[in-house]
Amino acid sequence: MAKAFMAYPELRSPFEAKEIHPQGSATILYQGKTITLSETGGGSELLINPKDLQQVNGFVIKPEGACLDDLCIPLNEQLLLEQDGRQWFNLTGFADLLEQTYVADQEAGVWSFAEIPVKRDNMMLNAMAPDIEVTDRQGNVVRMADLKGKKALIVTWSSW
Amino acid sequence: MPVWQRIYEEINDPDFVIICAAQDTGGEAAAGPIFDAANPTYIQVVDENHQISSAFNFVNVPSAAWIDEEGRIVRIDEGTYAKIHAIGEGEQAITFGNDVYEPALKDWVANGADSVHVQSAATVAGNIRQHSKEQEQADAAFCLGNLFRRHGQDVKADQYWEVARALNPDSVNFIRQNLTLTEEGSAGEQFRAMRSNFERTGTDYYRPLDIKN
Repeated sequence: MAKAFMAYPELRSPFEAKEIHPQGSATILYQGKTITLSETGGGSELLINPKDLQQVNGFVIKPEGACLDDLCIPLNEQLLLEQDGRQWFNLTGFADLLEQTYVADQEAGVWSFAEIPVKRDNMMLNAMAPDIEVTDRQGNVVRMADLKGKKALIVTWSSW
Repeated sequence: MPVWQRIYEEINDPDFVIICAAQDTGGEAAAGPIFDAANPTYIQVVDENHQISSAFNFVNVPSAAWIDEEGRIVRIDEGTYAKIHAIGEGEQAITFGNDVYEPALKDWVANGADSVHVQSAATVAGNIRQHSKEQEQADAAFCLGNLFRRHGQDVKADQYWEVARALNPDSVNFIRQNLTLTEEGSAGEQFRAMRSNFERTGTDYYRPLDIKN
């Protein structure tokens, strides 16, 4: 009997079972990146070292708030807090404030974040391409912003 | 993929790029050989997390965006076939695709903003799918499932793929990617049931291509 069209059941379990990160760490997925942090806390919320915020989502903590380019989000004591004698940034609280959705598997310590809606306004309202970056098969990082001055066709396909 | 390479070579303009992104959780093993067979010189991406679809709110393949020199999207989210394809023979043959997309693309590359195929910002913004919070969350769930899959944790991988599918039932990408891992594949009975359901509910499989001859 011919193999069913585009069936790859052999790809169901091609990977050996392994831990996602060392015990006590947390993993964050955002914009295609996988970031593992060793300093986290918070239980149902995800608290991170404020110094790690920039590598997670590009925001930098300044006196006026958490800032990305011209956007600055003022921070209150629920977002930038003291706990156990040290300072934490409440990443899930920040996401809630920005109406950024996420899905968490707390058992595994993994938080997966969708895009921040305000960062998509320029596309949704003004038809400007999102400033995403992808890595090509040769390992080059391709940023949409680097394509300025050229016309680009972005086209998806799949093997299935 | 060969069709895009041919078109890319025919256009042969240093200020025109094609980024071709395989939406494939199977990664290089699934998409790489197909890319290689086309000998492509355009930018090739194996997009395991469907990041491009997520960024442009695409829900099916092939889909595309045209982006001009200033970074403005001038067309988006159409069933992007660049020729008429046929599967099977005789009365059983299924044909799909069109022969108008390729000349329209070439016209845009040649004429830029003067091309009749360039759409206004308002039209493009209207053609971008508006995703609900649940649909945005579906993308996060899909990536979470993929992480578990890559770590050999299939029970959780399946769990979060199912969450993604339930949160965004319009995503053909999620449904068919999931079906590749079944014995019936991505074009079997469940796929046909999905097509029937889309027809019954009036859900677009692709947005109709708005290009005239």
